[in-house]
Amino acid sequence: MAEPTGSIRSLRDTDWSHLLTLLRDRRTGLSIGVALGLAWTLGKIAVPLLTQAAIDRSIEGDSSVFAWAGAIAAAGVVTGSFTAARRHIAFRESRMVETLLRERIHDHVLGLHPGYHDRAQTGQLMSRMSADLNQIQMFVVMIPLTLSHVALIFGVGITLVVLDPWLALVALVPLPFVNVTAKRFSNAIHPAVLAVQSEQAQLSAVVEESIAGVRVVKGFGAERVRMEALSTEADDIQRVSLRAARVRARFLPLMELLPSLGLVGVLGVGGLRVLDGAMTVGELVAFNFFVTLLVWPLRSIGMTVAFGQRAAAALERVHEVLSVNPAIVDPHDPVALANAGPLGRVTLRDVRFGYDEGSTVLAGVDLEIAPGESLALVGSTGSGKSTIARLLLRFYDPDAGSVMLDGIELRQLRVDDVRRAVGIVFEETLLFNDTVAANIAFASPRIDPVADRNAVAQAAALAGAGDFIESLPDGYDTVLGERGYSLSGGQRQRIAIARAVLADPRVLILDDATSAVDPSKEHEIRSAMSTVMEGRTTIVIAHRPGTIAMADRVALLDEGRIADLGTHEELLARNERYRQVLAAGVSATVGGDH
Amino acid sequence: MWGGAGVDPDDRLDRSEAAQVLRRAAGMARGQRRAAAAAVGFVAMATATALLGPLFVRHGIDSGIRVGDRSALMLAVVGYGGVAAVGFVGSRRQYIYVNRAGEGFLRELRLRLFAHIQRQSLGFFDRNKTGVLVSRMTADIESMSELVQWGLLQFVSAGILISVALVVLMVLSWQLTLVALAVLPIVVLASIRFQRSSNDAYLEVRERVGQNLSTIQEHLAGVRVIQASARTDEQRRRFKVSNRGLFDAHLRTVRVSTWYFGVVELAGVLATALAVLAGGYLVDRQSVSVGTVVAVVLLLASLFEPVQQLSQLYNTLQSATASLRKMFDILDTEPEVDEHHGSVDLGRSGEVVVDSVNFAYPGTESAALSDASLRIASGERIALVGPTGAGKSTLAKLIARLYDPDAGSIAIGGTDLRDARLASLRRRVVVVPQEGFLFNGTIADNLRLARPEASDEELAAALDRIGVRRHFSDLPDGLDTEVRERGSRLSAGERQLVSLARAALVDPTVLVLDEATSNLDPGTEAEVEMALERLMEGRTVVVVAHRLSTVRRADRVVVCDGGRLVEVGTHAELVAIPGGRYAALSAAWEASRPVAHPFSTGG
Repeated sequence: MAEPTGSIRSLRDTDWSHLLTLLRDRRTGLSIGVALGLAWTLGKIAVPLLTQAAIDRSIEGDSSVFAWAGAIAAAGVVTGSFTAARRHIAFRESRMVETLLRERIHDHVLGLHPGYHDRAQTGQLMSRMSADLNQIQMFVVMIPLTLSHVALIFGVGITLVVLDPWLALVALVPLPFVNVTAKRFSNAIHPAVLAVQSEQAQLSAVVEESIAGVRVVKGFGAERVRMEALSTEADDIQRVSLRAARVRARFLPLMELLPSLGLVGVLGVGGLRVLDGAMTVGELVAFNFFVTLLVWPLRSIGMTVAFGQRAAAALERVHEVLSVNPAIVDPHDPVALANAGPLGRVTLRDVRFGYDEGSTVLAGVDLEIAPGESLALVGSTGSGKSTIARLLLRFYDPDAGSVMLDGIELRQLRVDDVRRAVGIVFEETLLFNDTVAANIAFASPRIDPVADRNAVAQAAALAGAGDFIESLPDGYDTVLGERGYSLSGGQRQRIAIARAVLADPRVLILDDATSAVDPSKEHEIRSAMSTVMEGRTTIVIAHRPGTIAMADRVALLDEGRIADLGTHEELLARNERYRQVLAAGVSATVGGDH
Repeated sequence: MWGGAGVDPDDRLDRSEAAQVLRRAAGMARGQRRAAAAAVGFVAMATATALLGPLFVRHGIDSGIRVGDRSALMLAVVGYGGVAAVGFVGSRRQYIYVNRAGEGFLRELRLRLFAHIQRQSLGFFDRNKTGVLVSRMTADIESMSELVQWGLLQFVSAGILISVALVVLMVLSWQLTLVALAVLPIVVLASIRFQRSSNDAYLEVRERVGQNLSTIQEHLAGVRVIQASARTDEQRRRFKVSNRGLFDAHLRTVRVSTWYFGVVELAGVLATALAVLAGGYLVDRQSVSVGTVVAVVLLLASLFEPVQQLSQLYNTLQSATASLRKMFDILDTEPEVDEHHGSVDLGRSGEVVVDSVNFAYPGTESAALSDASLRIASGERIALVGPTGAGKSTLAKLIARLYDPDAGSIAIGGTDLRDARLASLRRRVVVVPQEGFLFNGTIADNLRLARPEASDEELAAALDRIGVRRHFSDLPDGLDTEVRERGSRLSAGERQLVSLARAALVDPTVLVLDEATSNLDPGTEAEVEMALERLMEGRTVVVVAHRLSTVRRADRVVVCDGGRLVEVGTHAELVAIPGGRYAALSAAWEASRPVAHPFSTGG
């Protein structure tokens, strides 16, 4: 997901603390990586030294060339194996950091109260768990290498100075500029790359809406208009991508040129010194080698610094998520729910609630539902019916007043106990990418979808879902969800009801469970509903009179309060507002076709 | 966007398929020939100069330092410096031209692919999921972007480096070169193994990343269900399994490449050792100079790095080829509804004649419409009713030629739709879908969907015609209000109003309406009703009806059932048929009405 990562701040303004904590946690692995990197560095330095010695002492001198060649080969084995080990450690550590962080974010977010999720954007959270973690991983993987690069630079620098201080000066002068250029490059290319990503995201949005809205595009013959929109975006991508190429053209060749200048200097000055007899040819060759050896480490250090800044910024965003405290938590000393006697009494006492500060959805609701009773909540859109359902699940805590289950305030109970005691069938059923059986057993921790197949099938039968499940390609083992088999709205709803049946809660909420269902199929859902409602406290939120009439009593919700309470017939007869609300809710459908 | 990253068998191609795909892509890139030629030229320039460096070093050592000739040394220094400068210039230009060629090709590909997708008829969109099509236009093209940006540059420069280095090495001393290259078989074998195993490992990572992301997405989307089911800990455990699976897949790719990099690095040093060994022997026999040995050692270093680069490039090339083939599959799909030569413009008449039409949706067996015949007079209002799957929406879509009938014909104003120019068809027949679908942009942009050239006055007139001008001019930014993604800035009712005004701007002869099943907010509901009524005036209207009020306002009602048009007539006629379908439907509706309906709109 392309999302602007913000501009790069100066080094001093970057908050490094989170990054340092993170690195401290992985210090063992990272230290091993650095040690391996150092060993590799030594091997790397040994190769040109040995080559120089070989040329000077055996080719130009008399010692055995075999011994030198053998020594070079041995150094090759050392660098080869250390390269491998170093890479392995670096990648393993960085991937581990990424993996653990992703788990932390996921686990944290999954436990955050629904109020947080109402405001949070899925795309943003996904990007915390993917793009941001990538940035951190890319930085961590470079740490062992960078530290050994620093060592390499020092090692080579000292070697050069020892070999010939003056020539060392000539060779090394251009190199700090490589580092500076690399850092500047990294900072310049980052916004350019982000711009490309953002243009790509815009193009993607145009494509997405053109395809999602293809019926409109075809219906209005709007192909030309959409093509123009796309071609604008395609041009934009090309434009910003050329801009990025310009940045590369400005910096990368320079980074290649600078060390070449050092090499040219070494050839000239060094050659003269050889001519003067101040150094040997072999030393000159070694000098050449060493200077080339420094190019990549210098470049990568510059980039690592810039990567580090980005990683620190990414980590800051991650911590923003991690530092949100869950608002709905278990009490310190939870009370246990009673398990005997008539169960499922629901009491709301002067409940006041608003989603945002200043807004009021419930303005003092008083309601008492007896064990085993069914109650229909009726009200116009936004009257707070679903809000009551969510308060009963303790998705939110009321601003004032109390919500009680079997006489105990929800806040005094363990959160999981509340949610096992109160079951809900949502307006839209979300099926998980798993088998039918696992989806039905979703809310029943003690039921194993495979071993307890009978119990699952029984629940499905009660919910009127048994027949169509049997006819699915793999029956109860058919995989559902976004990437699996897709079911119709009515079928999904029946799976959800089966889920609630199997969980066997003492209070069941049917939140607009029939609204997504084709009216001609509604009666099937209704009969499933009446089976599960039997002997259970049930709250039905509905628009259609047929569904409302199933409940023992009806509560009319208006302007945040219970405006009337009685049977469907009583309210129809005496309450004008009730009739109005029903009339608005009835779509007077003659058959729904989609 | 996150879901479809799984590996499918299409991601693996054999060699001949790959070659074919690449040839075709090269053919498409013909427009970028000049930029590409310039790019190759500059890459060659930058690369060749990098190779010349060691030659000057050799010259400096052999003709300058060893014989004591200062001017020869200085010449070598100046030459080296000059070559570096030329390389610098070439290197700067190469980035620009590689980008021009590559991005130019991608732009071309984007436009062509999108144009082709848009030409497809609805059946194509039924068969292909939105996510998949979007990823063809985005992820797949972006995966090629890596190839055309870096891959091309690396491929050309590595190729030149390797071949030129080899030639120079052979010229310098073929004996030394052959000895040093004794390590080549190791590198080649390692590279082949690396390509195979890294491709598999890389594909697995891609699949796991996709799975992991869709688990995250599922958990975020379902967080309320998960919490309501007290399943948080269980889902955390499941995520951990998936997340660790991804970690393991990452480790496998690391293992594969780690091993390979070690071997290549070792081979490079071994080659140096061999060159030194042979050099010692040959210098002793006076057949090569010390300068030559030095140059060979330096050049060997520049030989092994590009080999590594090429191996890594192979993965990029593979995934790009796979992406290209998927795009070509789309480009090879011919649209089912198309225009033939000699198509004519539709006339002004709004008479619709459906004649013995049979139709089944592509890929399905059962007929959605069988032997449907219907004559709709110009200016007549027809309501289509019936249960789900009865064929009413299908008939509406056929009248708008979103599909072609399998048998029989549909004509408007006496012209068979298959003979009509598509542009004129879309001006004469407009489909207004259930929900007002808006595109990102302003309200005015959305109104101009079918007629981008329409003036502001024409927009105002169209809004006036359906009586909603005030509604939109009262917004702070008027018609320039940005509607945001899917029109989320507007209410459902307002979106519907824009959708109706959009149709009014086209001013079609035939209007096909798919009535909304869900309710709007009571405020705008009435306004939408009124605008719709005004829009329908004076046009032939075919409406897929869900409300009795709409049905009652129609001139005639057509009852669909099982793909057949079972009853046709006015409301009064059909209710009078004893045991008739419509009579039953109508009665069922009456029964589900609440008693004493105060807002009865029927009649």
